[in-house]
Amino acid sequence: MSLSAVRDEPAPTAAERVSDAARLTVPYLLVVPGLLFVLGVLGYAVAGGFWLSLHETDMFMAKTFVGLQNYIDVFNDPRFQSSLWRTIVFVIMSIVLGIMMSMIFALTLYHVGFGKRFFRGMSLVPYFVSGIAAAIMFRFVFTTSGGFVNQVLSVLGLHQPSWLGDPVLAFIVAVLANCWFMVPFATLILLGGLQTVDRDIYDAATIDGAGAVQTFFKITIPMIKPMLGVSLIWVSYISFSTFDIILALTAGGPQRATEVVSMYMYQLAFLQLDFGQGAVLMVVLLTFNTVLSLVYIYYFILADRRHGREL
Amino acid sequence: MATLTSPSGAARREVSAIGRPPSLLDHLLRRFGRAILIGIPLAFLVIWTMVPIIWALLASLKDPLEIYESTTFLPRDPSLRAYWAVLGMDGFPRWMFNSILVTVVATIVPLILSILAAYAFAKYLFPFRHVLLLMYLIPRIIPRVSLIVPLNDLMTDLGLINTYWVLYLTYIASAVPLATWILVGFFKAVPKEIEESATIDGANMWNRLRYVILPIAWPGVVTAAVLCIREGWNEFAFVLALVTETGMRTLPYALYMMRDAMGVQDFAIYNAFTILTVLPLLLVYLLLERRVVESIVSGAVK
Repeated sequence: MSLSAVRDEPAPTAAERVSDAARLTVPYLLVVPGLLFVLGVLGYAVAGGFWLSLHETDMFMAKTFVGLQNYIDVFNDPRFQSSLWRTIVFVIMSIVLGIMMSMIFALTLYHVGFGKRFFRGMSLVPYFVSGIAAAIMFRFVFTTSGGFVNQVLSVLGLHQPSWLGDPVLAFIVAVLANCWFMVPFATLILLGGLQTVDRDIYDAATIDGAGAVQTFFKITIPMIKPMLGVSLIWVSYISFSTFDIILALTAGGPQRATEVVSMYMYQLAFLQLDFGQGAVLMVVLLTFNTVLSLVYIYYFILADRRHGREL
Repeated sequence: MATLTSPSGAARREVSAIGRPPSLLDHLLRRFGRAILIGIPLAFLVIWTMVPIIWALLASLKDPLEIYESTTFLPRDPSLRAYWAVLGMDGFPRWMFNSILVTVVATIVPLILSILAAYAFAKYLFPFRHVLLLMYLIPRIIPRVSLIVPLNDLMTDLGLINTYWVLYLTYIASAVPLATWILVGFFKAVPKEIEESATIDGANMWNRLRYVILPIAWPGVVTAAVLCIREGWNEFAFVLALVTETGMRTLPYALYMMRDAMGVQDFAIYNAFTILTVLPLLLVYLLLERRVVESIVSGAVK
């Protein structure tokens, strides 16, 4: 998802010399069909969402312009405020835990001596499990009677909590399910980064007396910064827009403990049929995610290119 | 052991080379330490990744009452009863058909559109190409769930709610940026000399694309196809927002609705349903696993 291609110059080919007319029209003819879908559906949806957020919808779906009234209502709504804080905590916990796990898994897959291909292939399996299925699987792992975790705890003779009935524990299970779903892709991106680091650099560091921890933070991390940026974008994109996992895992409960912004948006728009306020939440989600992605792109990917290092 | 497989391995070798010669005991200890250092996270990786899937699989083979008992891990008397029950469900064949149909359309159409667009972006210099490419890329950072409110409004106005068209349109639109982005990278990697010699031999654009670019960039096409299949098969937010009729559901939506639909909780059936929705995509992945993993690790998919 980096913007590197935007800056690269496409290689000119013989095709360009065929004729001026063809050169002028052919690329546009190739690009336009796909763009019609992208702009027609996604572009419309974004523009329509902004427009909708400035209108009030009555029960006959007639719209009246209300200016920023929806924004004022939403930002003063305590339920929105707590869902926003919950989302921020959810995203931060998911990013920290997710990136730590991805890094540990990537280092493990990098160093593992046998069955390399098998473990790599297996580690990506959750990426292909739908969010709904992942959530249902996690419900059965953490369900009170008959769940895997509680069954293990019972064998060990330990206390078996009601994971999905307790607000704090349910929130943690939601973070774990989210990590299960998003860590595999980030792991392979980081593994790709580790493989690009020249081994000679590690040898040089060792001769200079650097320990393993020092080598990791002073050499490995800076060298794989672009891939770290890509996995950060992926992890925070998934966490901000997490919806199917929470809907099928807890449906926002217990006692709204897992009601993140996307859940509340669904509530407002599709159950309370308040499209205007739902659209305000869309604008909030979109803004947060875009700003965060641009920050990552700037700091991790573009900032390096200014110093002439190739991604 | 003393191969340069790891920074830590190299470190230990260096230290021992400076100090006394390594004894057999040192060697074994180092080997053992390394095995633990890799073995523990590896075991955690395997357990973490596989437990949810295997637990669902085991539960689907159990007797419904046995699932509630916290005494057994393995099914006492494994049976496929739950799977037959799911396959015999009223809506199941229709949901499976819907999922397959929508996924096939939402893979083939975006692939064709993206191959054309990616060819233009990779091989032509034309005014506004940066702006146009940005328009293709920016949708990749827009959370899909955030679009469901305006899309529902638009599709209601167009009268497309509860049609296949609404799923085709939205799924194609979200797959095109993904596939284009992957393919631009693979197409750019095709050396322009090969293409030029084809041009000299009289090949026009279509023939160059078909006989030169696509065969060389085939791993990219396969990767893009698998990721389009994944998007289409697992998509949930759009189908939830744009479809209300039972007969128009896809498998993830039908799986979600199982939660409310079953009065008596038969968790074996629930788990069997989950496994059956996940299995077809996992089979596609297993068939093409090597290409997909290679593409992601090499940084071609972002």
